[in-house]
Amino acid sequence: MNNEELFALFREVVQSIEKRPLEDVTPDSVIADLGIDSLGMMEIVGELESRLDVMIPDDQLVKLRTVADLLGVVQKRLEAR
Amino acid sequence: MSTRVEGRGAEGERDLADTRLSLRLYEEYKTFFARAERERRWNPFDDVPWDQIRKDVPEDLALCAETFCAVEAYLPDYVSEGLAVVRPYMGQLWFQANWGYEESKHALSLQEFLLRSGARTDEQMIDLQHRLWVGKKWTPLFRTGRQMTIYGAIQEQATFVFYCRQRERAKALGHETLRVIYDFIARDEIAHTHFYEGVIRVLLEEDREGTLADFALVSRDFKMPAFDLVPDYDQRVMVMRDLANMDRDVFLQKVYFPVLKRVGVTRAEIVSAMRKARDAEQGESSPAA
Repeated sequence: MNNEELFALFREVVQSIEKRPLEDVTPDSVIADLGIDSLGMMEIVGELESRLDVMIPDDQLVKLRTVADLLGVVQKRLEAR
Repeated sequence: MSTRVEGRGAEGERDLADTRLSLRLYEEYKTFFARAERERRWNPFDDVPWDQIRKDVPEDLALCAETFCAVEAYLPDYVSEGLAVVRPYMGQLWFQANWGYEESKHALSLQEFLLRSGARTDEQMIDLQHRLWVGKKWTPLFRTGRQMTIYGAIQEQATFVFYCRQRERAKALGHETLRVIYDFIARDEIAHTHFYEGVIRVLLEEDREGTLADFALVSRDFKMPAFDLVPDYDQRVMVMRDLANMDRDVFLQKVYFPVLKRVGVTRAEIVSAMRKARDAEQGESSPAA
């Protein structure tokens, strides 16, 4: 899965969880600025883990600040499989 | 252990399960209370070093103490509404009563600190109470005892972390009186967290799927108490977060994940329960449903 596909999946997951369209979101967006709190992010990460069959350790999850941070960690996990 | 009794049928089995749950929850309370009596009792007037109080309290430190007082101002509502949701389980009812007693000492000691240090006047505190109480009442965020127990575990752990950070700041600034107050309060808060966690472990054993569903619900809708009632809440919390260095990472790392770990639930289980709830909601809202 390339970065664009991963970003599209991220948007899809966020919209299904948050039930609102995500406008103006880019990889550089700060997750908190999208109105997603820490428990919301945990849900999003969990959904990505489930769909892509990867596992992100808790200590990495708590450090994620931007969308790019999150996608980078997921991409690394995908490549490590 | 079998709970089946010949001739009693499903109703009898439900009664037995409920009796067993009541007994287990009462045991949790007795353990909590015995330990509190042995190790944790303190007197806000006698055990705090009031003779060491300083008059040069920085405003941000005072604001934090005042905000804790403001949140605790709704204690009568927390107790009365809390009692209503945990009926009919005696262990939880008695815990709620004891919890109210302990929390009242927190508000009282912080208020004494603000007044004795000169950081606030009697008039200012009365004005704040007026703004907190007139026309306002706290109502629970969740409807059932199980949901409120899960909420209690997360909320008390968050409060514990906040108080620990405030304690360190008071210590760094040389405000020994306030450090001791926060030390007593933090000790109480973590004891409350551990009681709630013990109850959650019992509830998980009795009904894991239902308890996980409630965990997911509480996680999705979690908010700190009185967020919508305390005047200038957002600005106050911003100051508190900055001072305590509390950000999003800290909430997951120091509050949420430790609670999950201690009750024996994985993040994957919570996410799975969240997904089930979403699917159920979508099913309910679709025209075919």
